[in-house]
Amino acid sequence: MEFKGGYAGKILWINLSEKRIKKEPLPKDLAYNYLGGLGFVSRILFDLIKPKIDPLSPENVLAFATGPLTGTLFPQASRYIVAAKSPLTDIWGSAHSAGFWGPELKFAGYDMIIIRGRAEKPVYIWINDDYVEILDASHLWGLNVLETEDIIRRDHGDNKIRVACIGPAGEKLVRFAAVMNDKCRAAARSGMGTVMGSKNLKAIAVRGSKDIKIADPNRYLKIIKEFQQRMLNNPFTPSRIKYGTNNLIELMQEIGRLPTYNMKQGVFEEYHKISGEYIRTHYLIKPRACFACVQRCGRHTAVPEGPYAYVGGGPEFEGLSALGSRCGVSHTEAVLYANHLCNLYGMDVISCGATISWAMECYEKGIITERDTGGLALKWGDPELLVKLVKMIAFREGFGNLLAEGSWRAARKIGHGAEKYVMHVKKQEIAGQEPRAQKSMGLASATAARGADHLYAFPVLDEVGFNEEIKRRFGEQYLPEMADRLNPKYKGIMVAECENFAAVVESVGVCKYGTMIPPEFYYEDIALALEITVGFKFTSTELRKIGERIVNLNRAFNAREGVTRKDDTLPERFLKEPAPKGPAKGQIVELNQMLDEYYIHREWDLKNGLPTKKKLEELNLSDVVGQLERIGILLQ
Amino acid sequence: MAVDYVHQFALLVLLNLNRKVTKIQKILVVDPEKCTGCRLCELVCSAFHEKAFSPIKSRIHIIKWDEKAVDVPMVCQHCSKPVCVDICPTNALYKDAKNGIVVVDETRCIGCKVCVLSCPFGAISWDTEHGKILKCDLCDGEPQCVKICKFDALKYVKADKVTLLRKREGAKKLSELVSLIVGEGFYARG
Ligand code: SF4
Repeated sequence: MEFKGGYAGKILWINLSEKRIKKEPLPKDLAYNYLGGLGFVSRILFDLIKPKIDPLSPENVLAFATGPLTGTLFPQASRYIVAAKSPLTDIWGSAHSAGFWGPELKFAGYDMIIIRGRAEKPVYIWINDDYVEILDASHLWGLNVLETEDIIRRDHGDNKIRVACIGPAGEKLVRFAAVMNDKCRAAARSGMGTVMGSKNLKAIAVRGSKDIKIADPNRYLKIIKEFQQRMLNNPFTPSRIKYGTNNLIELMQEIGRLPTYNMKQGVFEEYHKISGEYIRTHYLIKPRACFACVQRCGRHTAVPEGPYAYVGGGPEFEGLSALGSRCGVSHTEAVLYANHLCNLYGMDVISCGATISWAMECYEKGIITERDTGGLALKWGDPELLVKLVKMIAFREGFGNLLAEGSWRAARKIGHGAEKYVMHVKKQEIAGQEPRAQKSMGLASATAARGADHLYAFPVLDEVGFNEEIKRRFGEQYLPEMADRLNPKYKGIMVAECENFAAVVESVGVCKYGTMIPPEFYYEDIALALEITVGFKFTSTELRKIGERIVNLNRAFNAREGVTRKDDTLPERFLKEPAPKGPAKGQIVELNQMLDEYYIHREWDLKNGLPTKKKLEELNLSDVVGQLERIGILLQ
Repeated sequence: MAVDYVHQFALLVLLNLNRKVTKIQKILVVDPEKCTGCRLCELVCSAFHEKAFSPIKSRIHIIKWDEKAVDVPMVCQHCSKPVCVDICPTNALYKDAKNGIVVVDETRCIGCKVCVLSCPFGAISWDTEHGKILKCDLCDGEPQCVKICKFDALKYVKADKVTLLRKREGAKKLSELVSLIVGEGFYARG
């Protein structure tokens, strides 16, 4: 089917080893069957990345993709995705971010960039509409994220250039390095910055002056203004504007889901020191929006003086919980500063904080001693230590060199039972959701394609009981159980369906705020937006099928790497130890029950947790069946 | 008596119909402090005028200083003494006597771009694709950017209201300052 708007219409292929640049028109059937963003990279990387390759070798392929709605007026349509095989999890890796970089790439005329090989020396890619060049980056190597962006803009004499880059952490191959764009926005998870570093690619700088066309300009503005108004009228919007995501600290404390002391518990006595209200009243300069956003959850904050002084973007809930409560640190300024440093050096705050908190628990238990740490006492809540460790990790100094491997690899090196305290799934650290307090989040972490992840499904409908939305999206028969965050019933269905929808959201290029939470827009709204922007006419069912296709394809990617049901699990802590305190006291995660329901709903094989042949064929993925069978993975 | 009134009323209506319609001049007011930098205004401007998303062809531009979190919307001010009108060699740019809007007559424009260079706000740009100048025309009295800006960073108000608006905002800041210095209870203490 033809597209009449929305897409930029071109794919940019770059081979860094051969210094080759190629532009190709966007295949129509790729657009129609995979939409964009996550869909594009899932299909292309499944085909390009050979199984079992070393993620840090030149054979790995790194792809950046936008969606057909990225850069348009749809509320919060500012996202791009970056994907590759993950050096943290050794399976499917992807991370997404908003800001202004993705839209700029489209205005330059490209929906996607696919990067192969490895440059001999540090380079950066300069894209100015049709003009694309691989430039020397030796003067940028070693610089932090802010400096990198400033110097690129200065060198090209254009303040409107948008930059996605890595900081020192990516250069030093810290396994959870982020791709940073627009200075403080992070495509953080699963080590995509590490892959960039391994390719000697410091940055991609973009400036665009082209149009994105509108399929139906006559109906467009009227419909889209209604969407904007709906977003604005949503009861959640005022608090997003006021607190960003920071007031989730208070909310999570209230439901006992705030990760504390390496997730030993879900409540933190001193939570108010890192709370949304505290940060707003003491450190907020201004809320700032991403491209085309009316929710403006972005924060610009400052600590005006003292050892932790800075001015910059952030923080966000995940940073506050990972570096704050998770490590027992209640010194607000130290937490803010540590978060700022993660941005400067280009690191995932979640994995960084989680790895530090794992080390703290091992220290408490006597598994890690001062002999391992070079004399550092890893005490809970020490603000100076926190800041010091963040720096040591980013530059791989001393004990930081071990932590830079991520908690799973570090634990294997330490031994003596340290593995037991790694809060991970498939080697990636679990994000800021204590799963015993919200069962759906536990399941979501267990099944997510990129290892432990709250965003792949982002099942938030049971967080504060969105009963009406559950009725609308699933049907009344699932109430009240589905809305109850402590009840495992129907969570398998919810997580599977949320994954399908989230895949569509990540593919069209819009934000999960507004689609997942608050659950304002659903399939029919996306379908309408695609109709007036692109000219594609999809029903909700067809869109859902695309989402399902993408999830199955990600699963197939992981199956090639050896993932089966046994890997869809959680740390023992959540399966066996009842939550010790707070509102979720006494709870464990009933994972097996939820998993069964999940696989059944997915129509996957209950035993090995893999898609069946029939399912893949039904989703027009017959070629995938063949590919898996060729390497000896037999499907039911 | 009654007939007299009717007569007078009819006369008034006639007079009003005959009079040249002079709208009270409204202007677009920008408040950088409220701007969040979302650029919705750029998108809607280009969607409205160009039927495409094209920030570069937008008549309004957000200039940013990211590290300081400063976002300033830059758009034509429809100046009282417009430099662009003065400098335009073909009188393609002129000030509409009816509503005070600075307009471009595309048939007379020769594309010399002196207006682009002379505008102190950088509010006129050059469309390389179609070879024409781009400037704000206030969308026939319903500026799209104002409508989409949900944060009141852009307002479209009557010219005489502007000073009042500014005064009120200045006063608000002053009162905040006062309460900061003498404490919240100042007015309560009387
Ligand atoms: S729409 Fe308003 S808040 Fe957004 S960039 Fe424009 S002026 Fe600023």
